[in-house]
Amino acid sequence: MAAINLKPVDVAVIGLGAAGGVAVLPLTRAGLKVAGLEAGTWMDPHSFRPDEIHNNVRRLVTTIPKANREMPTIRDSATGAARPRGSIHPMMNAVGGTSIHYWASHWRLKEWDFKARSEIIKRYGGGAIPKGSTLEDWPITYDDLEPYYDIVEHEVGVSGKAGNIQGKLDPAGNIFEAPRRREYPMPPLRGSGYTDMMAKAARDLGWHPFRGPAAINSQEYRGRPGCAFHGYCSAGGCHISAKNSTAVTTIPEAQKTKNLTIFERADVRRIVADSDGKVSGVSYVRDGQEYFQPAKVVLLASYTYENSRLLLLSKSKAYPNGLSNNHGQVGRHYFAHHQGGGVSALFPFDINVWYGAPAQSTVVDDFADDNYDHSSDGFVGGTTLTAATEMHPIEAASMDTYGRGPSWGSKWKAFVRENAARWNTCYLQTSSFPYATSFLDLDPEVRDPLGDPVCRVTTGGGKANEQQAVQFAQKKMEEWFRAAGAIEVRRPSGAGGAPGLSTHAYGGTRMGDNPYTSVVDKWGFSHEAPNLGVLGGSVMGTSGARNPTETVQALAWRTAERLVKNWKSIPG
Amino acid sequence: MEPEEGRNTRAVSRRTLIASAALVPAWVPVAALTARAQPAVAPATVLSSAERKTLEAFVDRLVPKDEFGPGAVECGAANYIDVQLAGALAAEKTNFVAGLAAIDAFARKSQDAGFAELGPEKRDALITAMEGGSAEGFANSRAVFARIRRLTLEGMFSDPHYGGNTNFAGWDLIRYPGPRLAVGPEEQSMTGSIKPYRRSAWPESPNAGGGATGGSNGRH
Repeated sequence: MAAINLKPVDVAVIGLGAAGGVAVLPLTRAGLKVAGLEAGTWMDPHSFRPDEIHNNVRRLVTTIPKANREMPTIRDSATGAARPRGSIHPMMNAVGGTSIHYWASHWRLKEWDFKARSEIIKRYGGGAIPKGSTLEDWPITYDDLEPYYDIVEHEVGVSGKAGNIQGKLDPAGNIFEAPRRREYPMPPLRGSGYTDMMAKAARDLGWHPFRGPAAINSQEYRGRPGCAFHGYCSAGGCHISAKNSTAVTTIPEAQKTKNLTIFERADVRRIVADSDGKVSGVSYVRDGQEYFQPAKVVLLASYTYENSRLLLLSKSKAYPNGLSNNHGQVGRHYFAHHQGGGVSALFPFDINVWYGAPAQSTVVDDFADDNYDHSSDGFVGGTTLTAATEMHPIEAASMDTYGRGPSWGSKWKAFVRENAARWNTCYLQTSSFPYATSFLDLDPEVRDPLGDPVCRVTTGGGKANEQQAVQFAQKKMEEWFRAAGAIEVRRPSGAGGAPGLSTHAYGGTRMGDNPYTSVVDKWGFSHEAPNLGVLGGSVMGTSGARNPTETVQALAWRTAERLVKNWKSIPG
Repeated sequence: MEPEEGRNTRAVSRRTLIASAALVPAWVPVAALTARAQPAVAPATVLSSAERKTLEAFVDRLVPKDEFGPGAVECGAANYIDVQLAGALAAEKTNFVAGLAAIDAFARKSQDAGFAELGPEKRDALITAMEGGSAEGFANSRAVFARIRRLTLEGMFSDPHYGGNTNFAGWDLIRYPGPRLAVGPEEQSMTGSIKPYRRSAWPESPNAGGGATGGSNGRH
């Protein structure tokens, strides 16, 4: 069946998630005609339920299981065996993408994260750079991105308390944060009994706790209500649209311009390039019919795994090894965030963490990034420690028994009866770096239902630097839990191996000045195909110790704005 | 193209219809309307009566009825598993049933009786052997044990919509205060107690009452 050629547009955006869903706003406001190609569909807020099985066990908050059908394969080394392949992808498909069901923790990176390589060398010497890493400084600094962080915080809506406004510190916020031009648009989410208790314990230890920033309304914002704290935020959509996914913020704003056309259920298969190396549009399939959407510019804004896969699949005369891959950099410098940490604690009293949200949190930044002297640590980078709410009943009853009881029978029942309401986990996020042994490519055997190879993740195995950093953080977390009155703390003996399929996946289309070590330039445009831009965590060269979405969105806005300002010079 | 908009999307459309037809923003009034409108139809199950008996005899020992309240059977955990194997978990039905058959064969070989016919102590001994990996006749007895245990927890502590957590007894056991749609600061404090809110997130479901005659209809 022949492909149907659609009406040409100025810009085709592949994926209307956290990144693409933001980029469409500055583009359409500037009058550009934009086609948003989205694999999923719109979700109805009435479909979101406070149901652990639906949201968390079976992860059914998605409209189209495209991500599941294209589940990447994972192996730890280029010669090692594949890990068992999962069936549920942590990301989802819908208009708004994973910003619908994410935690909405919204962070800026810090100055250090953009120039970690030179800062590490300056403070600790060249030998401190993690062995085998391909770490390089970003081609931009925090100051370059600060204006866009500010725009995104206000356009999307972020709740938080500033700790550093133009150099003036406020201990009610995060005194370790990079300077910001002004306060957050909304005050932080309220504390809970538990997060307040943890904040006090951290202060008792001499640390500097604060309420984590969140793209969740703490009060009415732009016509949408404040958070109801109902406790089904993680992997669940917001029933009152208080979580600021792009589906309720930037995408509807872009629609008001009448310049955005959304194509739902569009399975993008190829980005098409001319023989001169410019891209000419996007080929996608819907209901078995192939379509071609011509565009003057293409912005690739799917998730990290799919960004690399689509480029590698898009072979042409000008790009025999995949689009924008004539320097062999697509898929390189991939890494996943070390997150989780596995530390849990049992208290001798009910802590009431059933309700709330993972972003309703007390965070300690004292041990993140380079906030303290690492000279005697043996590792670089660090970890944010987060104590948060939102526990669900099956999860609660699946608790560790801390050696105090068996795993079934009457004694187990008595144990969970007493303790299921008395324990909690934590969330640790550790700076993670790219390594030569970690990369994405196309799986030589496993294909998706359309016949295309799926993405293959080679993790490179556990990295000594990150493992040591995680173990350091686990000990700090134990200290914190104990200071709050925990009677048992479970801390894993190791740091775990390399992260597998991750919601915080970076690289594959790294941003840089050098085409031999990166795929896109400092503005997010391909070194090779001048009218192709890439959005998402795939352009990031470091992770920091923070959730990536706000940085992803600030970068997306910046790339889109660059396109608008230079539109007259766009060839074609 | 495969029919990717399967069960999930259709279900969304149906409940969206119900919600919008009632023209109310909150679900509580909708529940009041739909709970009476829908006949209580027992959902399909898939296990044979012998398999179901083996399963019940097993989960009854994982979480027994005692002075702390109903056990896994009374909480509907076996029913949850049976219903889900007929539906959302159909893909693992063959494996699961093979596990039940292995449990029964293990009992007959070591105790000369079917698993469901054994007394509590003998069943406990067999389960202990499975958990420890020393049970005979299994490809992986630990995995069979772990899967039944996991599904038992799901059945006891999930929303009653799925066929378990009868009368919300699982939530009562662990003091889960229930799926409120809006939660005030006092309901997140660590002082004082929260009144349990016993309602399904699927008020239109035949199981929404958790097998109870009503549950709390009040909004807190």
